[in-house]
Formats: sequence, structure tokens, C-alpha cells
Amino acid sequence: MKSSFKTPLIALLLIITTAFVAKAQDTRIQMGTLDHLAAKASQTVDVNVDERLMKLAARLFSDKDEDELKVKKLIEGLKGIYVKSFEFETEGQYVAADLEPIRAQLRGAGWTRLVNVISKKEGNVEVYLQFAGEMVNGLAVLHTDDKELTVVNIVGPVNLDKLAQLEGQMGIPDLGIESPKPKKKTNEQ
Amino acid sequence: MNDDYLWDKTGEPDPQVQELEEILGSLRYQPKPLQIPNELRLPQRRNYFPWVAIAAGVSLAILAGGIWLSTRSHGDAPQRQAEVTPPAPVKEVTPSAPKTPERKNESPEEVVAVHKHRPRASVPVLSKREREEALMAKEQVMLALRLTTEKLSLVHKKTQNTNPANQIKNQHRVG
Repeated sequence: MKSSFKTPLIALLLIITTAFVAKAQDTRIQMGTLDHLAAKASQTVDVNVDERLMKLAARLFSDKDEDELKVKKLIEGLKGIYVKSFEFETEGQYVAADLEPIRAQLRGAGWTRLVNVISKKEGNVEVYLQFAGEMVNGLAVLHTDDKELTVVNIVGPVNLDKLAQLEGQMGIPDLGIESPKPKKKTNEQ
Repeated sequence: MNDDYLWDKTGEPDPQVQELEEILGSLRYQPKPLQIPNELRLPQRRNYFPWVAIAAGVSLAILAGGIWLSTRSHGDAPQRQAEVTPPAPVKEVTPSAPKTPERKNESPEEVVAVHKHRPRASVPVLSKREREEALMAKEQVMLALRLTTEKLSLVHKKTQNTNPANQIKNQHRVG
């Protein structure tokens, strides 16, 4: 009688362990707890692009256009991009407790806070990275201002060099980071 | 002789009548369930309706799929032609030669016929719904990248102001 319970119990434990391991390795941040802020916000941006949509979108980026090719190469291999951004008319529409579930996730699962900028004028920006060996396996950006709250989460191997190459192109703002420009090289040749 | 017995069983019965009653009495109605002999039983009626319904459903699905595939391949034929075009231009046009994009004067029928004899493109063509979905996803990806780089730009600006050693640049090279 006891042995009849053993096998399902072991199977159940295996399933639970696998689920926990998978969850631990997943760099996706659950942002559902912020959804209630949408009612208070004057402007909301909600981006949910999973792996399937990412692959679909990648097919629309042209290989012939240099700028689009850069974006295509950047998003290749990514498992998702998730953004929640709220802009409020007045201050104090969200409290620190609203962000606590996000911060709790960023405190664990191998996340490292790379930069924390505290600015009275432009709010606080925190940049988190998750490493898999030497590779960056996830990026999270948390921007909190009096009237704005933004959480960005890129899941998968983020190539920061390629991200820097997007600066100033296709409406993407200039980061001011010095990096070799292939266009210039081709002109010189 | 009293005839009342024949009507309501009152009065003196006639012996002949009594005798007839006894003879015919064995044939009187006996209340018992009807027993049908096995050889007379009808075979059970099979209900074919669910199977017929399933078969009809599958046939309709196959038919709809076939129509959809044929319309899709017709609709996407020119696009595939553009995607699988070989890079080398062909100057002399022969019936067996591969078509190039420069040949704009060829009829649409010719294009479709050429496509049928060609191997499938390595990247399958998106359906209309998939394309719409992909376009939306592309916009979302671009929006997300804009927001991300905006925030990183802010970080970079702030770290540049406070730290002349270009901290973000060095950290940027980690990945």
C-alpha cells in the first residue's frame, strides 16, 4: 500500500522541483501587481512581447536596412520584453509598497543592481542585470519619479553593445556612449 | 330457461352454457408480461448520428483548410517570388532560367507557374493575421527599446555628471 503512494509522490516532488528551478532561472519579472495604477495614471504604456511575438516581429525587420538589422540582431535570442510605465497628473499616486513586489523579485534570483541614480529633478533610476556566467541574461530598469513609474524588463541574452549601437537611430535617443560606428568605416573605405 | 344468466350471470345457468364456459375459460385473458420469442426480436438500432456528425465536421475542416491554403498561396505568390529571387541577374531569358525581379513585363500566370516548380523559401510567409500581429509586436518592441534607452541615457547622463571616469561606459562593456 505504501509503495503505491511512493511513485506519485516522487513524481509530484520532481515536478515541483523542476517548476521551482525553472522559475528561479526565469528572468521575467512579474509586474501584474502594478496594474491597479493604470486607473490613476494619465498615460500608461504596457508592452508585453513574449518569445513568440519577438520571433514574429524579428521577421519584419529588414536585413537590407542597416538600422533595422541592428535591432533584429539585438532582439534575436531574446525571450521577451515587458514594460509598464505610468505617468500621473499629480504626485503621490503610488507608494513604495506598490513597488515592493518588483523589488523583492530583483533582490533574488541572481539579479545584480548595476547602477542606482538618485536625482531630485528626474527621479531615481536603478539598472539591474542578471548574469548567466559572463553573459547578461536579463535586464531590468526601474525608474521612479514623483509623477512617473516605469519598469522595463528584457528577458534573455541582452547584448548591451548592440543596444548601445541603436542610439540615435529609429527614434531611439542618443545615449552618448562612444562605440565604433560601422557606417563611418564603410565611408572611409 | 332464464336468459338473464347470459346477460349478467344472474339466475339459473344452462348446463350447455356452463360447459361452453369451462371449455372457453382456458382461453380467457391472463394478465402477464408479453414474452417475445428470441427469433422474433428486432436487432438494436445503432445510432450513427455522432459518427456522421464527426465525419461531416472533419470533412468541413479539411475543405476549409484546403480553401484557405489555396487562397493564401495565391495571395502571397508575388511576395514569395521576391523573397526567393537568386542574387545573380540573368540576362538571357530562357524557359528554364530562373526569374529575376528586373523582369517586370512577365504575366502573373507565369510567376505562379515558376513558383510551383521552385523549392520552398526557407522563411515561411506570414499570413495576414500573423503579419498584423508581427507589426504590432514590432511597434511594441521599438517602443520598449526607446523607453529602455531613454532610461539608460538618463543614467548615463547622471553618471557622467557625477563621475568623470565614465562609469557607465566601463560597465557597458561587461556584456
